[in-house]
Amino acid sequence: MPHVVDCKITAHQEAGRGHYRMALRAPKIAAEASPGQFCMIEVRPGYHPFLRRPMSIERIFADGISLLYKVEGEGTRLLSTVAVGQSVSVQGPLGKPFPINPAWERPILVAGGIGVAPFPGLAEAIISKTGRAPEVVIAARNDSLILCEKDFKRMGCRVTLATDDGSAGRKGFASEALADLEPGPGAVVYACGPLAMMYAVHEVCVARGVTCYASLEAFMACGDGVCMGCVIEANVEIEAERMVRVCADGPVFDTTIIDWTAQRARTGGRS
Amino acid sequence: MSVNLQVNIGGLVMKNPVTVGSGTFGYGQEYNNYFDVSQLGAITVKSLSLKPRAGNPPPRLVETPAGMLNAIGLQNVGIDAYLSEKLPWLRKHGCTIIANIYGHTPDEYGQLAERLEREGGADAIEANLSCPNVHNARDAGGCKLVAQSPERVAEYTRIVKSATKLPVFVKLSPNVMDITQPALAAEEAGADAISLINTLIGMGINPETRRSILSNMVGGLSGPAIRPVAVKMVWEAASVVKIPIIGMGGICTAGDAMQFILAGARAVAVGCASFRQPDTALQVVNGLEDYCKRHGVVDINELVGGVLTR
Repeated sequence: MPHVVDCKITAHQEAGRGHYRMALRAPKIAAEASPGQFCMIEVRPGYHPFLRRPMSIERIFADGISLLYKVEGEGTRLLSTVAVGQSVSVQGPLGKPFPINPAWERPILVAGGIGVAPFPGLAEAIISKTGRAPEVVIAARNDSLILCEKDFKRMGCRVTLATDDGSAGRKGFASEALADLEPGPGAVVYACGPLAMMYAVHEVCVARGVTCYASLEAFMACGDGVCMGCVIEANVEIEAERMVRVCADGPVFDTTIIDWTAQRARTGGRS
Repeated sequence: MSVNLQVNIGGLVMKNPVTVGSGTFGYGQEYNNYFDVSQLGAITVKSLSLKPRAGNPPPRLVETPAGMLNAIGLQNVGIDAYLSEKLPWLRKHGCTIIANIYGHTPDEYGQLAERLEREGGADAIEANLSCPNVHNARDAGGCKLVAQSPERVAEYTRIVKSATKLPVFVKLSPNVMDITQPALAAEEAGADAISLINTLIGMGINPETRRSILSNMVGGLSGPAIRPVAVKMVWEAASVVKIPIIGMGGICTAGDAMQFILAGARAVAVGCASFRQPDTALQVVNGLEDYCKRHGVVDINELVGGVLTR
């Protein structure tokens, strides 16, 4: 059950160029959160910005959570200026978590840019529930935007890097790095990143008969299934169920349920 | 000192004057995680249509200064699923229900109202004649919205009234030249109350992509940004109609709600403020009681229309 709580910021620092990690004291939210869920953050009191900002939970601790976010606009810019010791209002945990199943022998996490945000917590949960460290692919435009590499290595994960310019790891896309790993029977892929990247990862998975779960991002007002602002088209014929809510039906979806044609038409094939 | 917060809205008794704007509170259950929603005077549910609706394609929503612009397009589960899946929860929890209805034709509004009464699906009906995000009805008298044509407002109101004995509220649009005309038309056609205001039609363009931010091109603006417009329209309408007004438009606090009450609203609805703070409507209920105590008012009804002229 979600809560709305004023949470004290216990750590807040730059985690890469334009990216920040914020730790919050939030025992009530931490007690109920699972990897893949998100919170709605009030970046500051008052009417501007008017709405909360949805953010993935990065890691879950006994007494709180951490968030990893990229400064994209005015809201995240304002949030990045809030100092340790101050409080922000946090609503969460919200949404459906990543499914984890000990029968899935080869979990592979594929992150693009800030899409890595929910994966440190997911890797920890997979390790604790299955005893297996997942493989991790981290892709970004260049080496300065690769996040969390050390965290995954510390957990015992095998990490593959890919960058657009080849400044770290393989020169190329996340989907190409995933294909190099040759996922097959027993593998399960978790993807989070730009839409075009998740589509390419989905295609690799479909070709190889591998299940893929993607965590989607959308602009949303409520985060709680009410406003209907964050929907995407799904492969569902039933009229009432064709538009699924990223917040409440997701943010994690089996990628075969997503109507990729509609998503790609909207972005002109770009992310 | 005890304060009476109970109001009577055209035959609907509400234990306090606070409800929620249709489409901002789901079917009640969603926000019960945060507070006991039965404490509200009434819950106005998301617009119901005869058949489920998928609504508009995304993007549907964008933040604006002190508000938001949306073009959801009345995505809803439809009347059948409402009655079988949503209503039992609302009844079990003792909620007073205002069912907001939307149809393509006057006859569909009539069918929805008749069915809701027959199956105990509502304590009052709110006819949505003013959604800016759907291409309404067979025609709207040469207008884009039914609520822009006083003749059509009267016609739709009469049909809903003849279909049900439940109190009928008519939700009007601020996108008109003179709000008193549709307000009077609704009253003369038998409406038991009017709800004011629906969203103001607006538009946003991304200068980089040169595309409208919303797939529907235009959408409805809500939030504190529109509150002064809403208060003024309630004040104008209250000067000409005798039926009660449910005032709404950017209410975030009890002070905001008091502006509407002083302008002439007998009840108020909290809209998109619930998205940012789910228990806003309950805070408004508590704040109205505090206001009355602070001002030595024993009955909130005494304050309706009490704005002083300077």
